[in-house]
Amino acid sequence: MREVAIDVPVEPPKELESLFLPVPKEYVEEAYKKDEFLVLVGPQHSGSGHMRLIVRVKGDVIQEVIPDPGYVHRAIEKLAENRLYIQNIPLVERPAIMDSANLNLGYVRAIEDAMEIEVPDRAKYLRTILAELCRIGTHLYDAAILSVFLGHTTGFMYPFGIRELICEALVKMTGARFTSSFIIPGGVRRDVEKETLAWIYSATFAIERRLKSFERIFIKNPTVIARLKEVGVLSKKEAIEFGVVGPFLRASGVEYDARKVEPYEAYDRVDWDIVVADEGDSYSRLLVRANEIGQSLKIIRQCITDIPEGKVISDQICEGNDIRGEFFDKLADIVLPTGEYTTITEAGRGSVIFTIVSDGESNVPYRLRIVTPGWLYLRGFVESLKGERLADLQAIYGSFGYFPPEADR
Amino acid sequence: MRAEFKVGKLDMLRMHIDVIREAFKQVIVPDRITVEYPRERKKYPANFRGLIFCDRDKCISCFRCAHVCPANAIQIYFYEKAWPGIDYTKCIFCHFCVDSCPTGALRPTKIHDMAFATMEEMKLKATQTIKPPEVFREDLLVVEYQVDEKGWKLVRKKERDELIVEVLPPRIRRKISTCVDPESCLGCKLCVELCPSNAIAVDRKVNKLKILSEKCTGCGICVRNCPMKVLELKEVK
Amino acid sequence: MEMLDALMQIFKSNMLEIPAIQPIVDPLMQIPWLNLLVALLLWRPFFAIVVMPGLLVLMICLLYIIWFERKLTARIQWRVGPLEVFRPLRGAIQALADGLRYFFQESIVHKEAHRPYFVQLPILAFIPVLLPIAFIPAGNVVGIKTPYAIPLIVAFLSLIPITVVAIGWASNSRFAFIGSVREALMYVAYEIPFIIAVISMIYLYGSADPYVAVEKQSIPGALLNPVAFLVFIISMLMATSRLPFEIPEADQEIAFGPFVEYSGMLFGLVMVLAYEKLYIMSLLFTILFLGGWSGPQLAILGDLNAPLWLVIKTLIVISVLVIVRSMYARFRIDQALRIGFSWLLAFAIIALAIGVVLGYEGGI
Repeated sequence: MREVAIDVPVEPPKELESLFLPVPKEYVEEAYKKDEFLVLVGPQHSGSGHMRLIVRVKGDVIQEVIPDPGYVHRAIEKLAENRLYIQNIPLVERPAIMDSANLNLGYVRAIEDAMEIEVPDRAKYLRTILAELCRIGTHLYDAAILSVFLGHTTGFMYPFGIRELICEALVKMTGARFTSSFIIPGGVRRDVEKETLAWIYSATFAIERRLKSFERIFIKNPTVIARLKEVGVLSKKEAIEFGVVGPFLRASGVEYDARKVEPYEAYDRVDWDIVVADEGDSYSRLLVRANEIGQSLKIIRQCITDIPEGKVISDQICEGNDIRGEFFDKLADIVLPTGEYTTITEAGRGSVIFTIVSDGESNVPYRLRIVTPGWLYLRGFVESLKGERLADLQAIYGSFGYFPPEADR
Repeated sequence: MRAEFKVGKLDMLRMHIDVIREAFKQVIVPDRITVEYPRERKKYPANFRGLIFCDRDKCISCFRCAHVCPANAIQIYFYEKAWPGIDYTKCIFCHFCVDSCPTGALRPTKIHDMAFATMEEMKLKATQTIKPPEVFREDLLVVEYQVDEKGWKLVRKKERDELIVEVLPPRIRRKISTCVDPESCLGCKLCVELCPSNAIAVDRKVNKLKILSEKCTGCGICVRNCPMKVLELKEVK
Repeated sequence: MEMLDALMQIFKSNMLEIPAIQPIVDPLMQIPWLNLLVALLLWRPFFAIVVMPGLLVLMICLLYIIWFERKLTARIQWRVGPLEVFRPLRGAIQALADGLRYFFQESIVHKEAHRPYFVQLPILAFIPVLLPIAFIPAGNVVGIKTPYAIPLIVAFLSLIPITVVAIGWASNSRFAFIGSVREALMYVAYEIPFIIAVISMIYLYGSADPYVAVEKQSIPGALLNPVAFLVFIISMLMATSRLPFEIPEADQEIAFGPFVEYSGMLFGLVMVLAYEKLYIMSLLFTILFLGGWSGPQLAILGDLNAPLWLVIKTLIVISVLVIVRSMYARFRIDQALRIGFSWLLAFAIIALAIGVVLGYEGGI
C-alpha cells in the first residue's frame, strides 16, 4: 500500500487540553506533528462501554490505543472493608451482574477456605448449576454486545431473548433474576425443588434449539465472518505475555481453565472439555465462547441427573437443612482466623481472584482484593488493536466482551 | 475440544441461504417471546424476591433485619415497639432480612413493579410497611414459559397470579435469653436497660440477673450487647 | 379574468379522467373559483408531481416504510415492535409521532458548525431528491415528458451524496468528517456499477425513454437481464446506506456519521433522506425491471391505473428490501469498496454485455 501524506501543519485541537487526558501534552503534540491524530472513543460513544479509548490513528489505521478506564470505579474493595463478611456477598456480585454467581462463589470459597467448612455434596452441585447458568448468561450477553457493535440488531435480540430463559431458571432457583446472593458460606440459602431442576433440564434443550437460530443468523453469517476473521489477532505467545485470561486465552490456543486445573465444587465429577481455538482472532474468540455454552449446558444436564440427596448447608453452620430464620444468628458474626486466603475461580470472562486478609479478631475483612478478568485482559485487548482499522475497534472490543464495571470494580 | 469453523467458497453461498431462510422463516412463523406486560404478567415462583412487608403481630423488635441489611436500607422506627421501615432507594432485594427474621414476621411478596412520586416517598416508614401496597392491576393473562426438546413456548392462561404469597414459614423455634455464666456477670445492668419488653430484672441482694421467661421474646438484644458475653439464646422445648 | 380562463383552458385540456370520481368532480366544476382548484389538482403534470407518484405518496411511503421496517425487523427478532401509539392499527402512526417529536424538539446548532450551510444543507438536499419526481412518468400522468427521463433521474440521484458530504463538512466534527469521507468513497464504489447497470438496460430497450422501456417489457426486465437486476439491487443497498453497507452512518463506529451533530427537525430531515432516495431508486427500479406501470387495468379508475400500479410495485420492492437490515452485519469500508470495485463492477460489465447483445439493432 502506497502512503500519500499531505504536508499540512496541524495543531492539536484546543479541546484536547480540557479533557483531562491521561497522556502527556507532548504526546498529543507529537502525534499531530506526525500527520496522525487522536480519536477519543468513549465514554459517551455508542461503540464503547463506560470507558475511554484514546486511539491514535494514521489515516484509518490504528497506531496505538491508550485505555482510560475507571469511569465506573466503585471502590468495592474499600467498601468491603467496613461490612460484615456476610454483607459483602451482595457487594462482590456487583462488578459483573450477569456473572454474579461466579464472583459470589469465589468470595464464599475464600471464607470456607479460611473457616475450613466442608460443603455438602448437594450444595456443591447446586452451586455448579448456578455458576454455569451465569456463565451462559455472560457469554450470551457478550455475543449480543458484539453483534450490535457490528450493526447486526437481530444478533443482539436473539441472545437477549435466550438469556430470558437463564433469568427464568435463576428466578425459579433463587428468587431473583440475577444477583441472586444465593451462595453463602457453608452451602446455599435454600434447597431447590425437584420440579425446578426438571424445568432447568428441559430448558437446556430449549436454549440449544434457540441457539441454532442464533448460529444461523449471526455466528455463521458471511458478513460477520468477513468482519471478524483475521482481525485483532493475538498469537499464543503474545496472549501469555500480556496475561490474557479465560476464553480469550483459550482462543489463542492455550489450554488453561481454572475449573480443570484446580477443580472446585462439582467440576471434577462431571465430564466436559476445555474449548480451544488456534487462530486467536476475533472470530475464534466468538466461536470459543459459543462452544463453551454447549459445554456449560452439558455440565448442567449432568449435574441435574447426578445430583445427590442430602443437606444443602454444612453442619458446621446450621443443624437443620434450612438457614431461613437463623441467617443472622449463624452467619452475621463469623470471624475468620488470622491469615490470607486466596481462591481462583473461572468466571464467564476468565479467572477471578479473591483474596481475603483477616486480622483474626474483627468480623469485617481487613482487606479484600478482587482481581477481575476484565482488568487482566485489558492489556491484551489494547495490544490486539494495533495495526487494525478504526472500524475494527468495535469488532475487537465486542469480541473481547470487555465489561468496564467488571474491570473497574 | 477445538472450536473451528472452516469456510469454503461454496459454504459462503450455503450460509447466505441459511441466513435468508432463517429470516423468512421468522417472518412467516415468528418465535415471538414478548410478554405484553401491563396486560399480562409473567408467573413468578413463590420464592420470588419482591417487595417486603412486615407482619406486626409476629415482629419481636429484634433489630436483626436492620443489622444484617447489606445496603443499610432498613431503619427501625419506634412506635409502641420498634418496627422496621424499608428505604427502597437503597434496598437491593437480597432478602437477607427475610431470611434473618426469626419469627417469619418479614414476608416477601411477588410485587416487583412499584412507582413512587418522589425520592422521599420511597423511604417507607414502619406504618407503611405493615401491609402490602394496593396494586392497580390491568393484567388479564398469566404467561408461563413452557420448555421441552421442541423449544420454548409462551403459554397464556386466563387467570390472575396472586401477588401476595403465603410463604411457608421457616421452622420457628422459641428462644429465650439465659445467663450461662452468672459468675462473670459485672452487674452493669446494660441488659436491663436495653430490653424492650422489660423481661430482665436484677435481684439487688445478690446482684444476679433474673430473666422473666414469659416476657422474653427472644430478640437477643441483650445477648448482642453484653460486654462479658455471658448471655445466650437458648431454645425452649 | 381572461388570464384565469386561459389557465382553466390549460388545466382542462390535460385533466385526469377517472370514472370513479367523475360524479363528484362534475358538480364541483360548476362552482366558480373552486373549479380552478379542482382542475389544477387533476391537471396531469400537477397530479404527477404533487400527488402520485410525487410528494404526497412520497410522504405516505415514508411513514409506511419506517413503520413497516420496524415491524418486520421486530417480527424477525422475536419482538412486537411499535404498538402502543395507535393500537387498532398496530402502531401504524409511530413514524408520524416521531416526526412530530422531531418537529417540536430544539434544533441545536453547535458553535463549531458553519452555521448557514449547517442549517441550509438539509433543506437543499431535498432538491436533488424532489427533482427526479418531475421526470418519472406513470402512464400518461407525467410532470415533464422527455425521452431522456432515465439519464436525468440517474443524474439527479448522483447529486444527493454531494449534499451529504457537504453536510459532513458543515458539521465540522471528527465523526461527521470521517462519515463524509466514507460517504464519498462509497459513492464512487456504487455509482459506477449502478450507472453501467442502467446503461445496460437502456441498450437493451434501445432507448432512454421510460415509455419505450415499459412498452418493451412483455417479459419483465428482471428476467431479460438478471445480472443487471442483481447489480442494481446491491448498488441500491449501497446508495441508500442500508445494512450490510450502512458504512457512512455506522452508529457504533462513528455515531451516525455526517449527521451526528443534527437534532430536532433538521435531524428529521436528514434521517429521511436515505428513505427518500430509496423511494426514487425503487421507482426507477420498477420502471426498468418490473414493467413499470403496466398491470391489469380497471376501467373505473381510468387514468389512475398507471400511477397506482407503479406505486404498488414500488412499495413491494421497498418492503422486500428492508428485510436485509435484520439479516446482515455491517461490512468494513475496505471490504465494501472491494466488493464495489471488483465483482460488482465485473457483474455490471457482464450485464452491459448482455444488454448490448440482446438490444442489438434497436432493442428487442
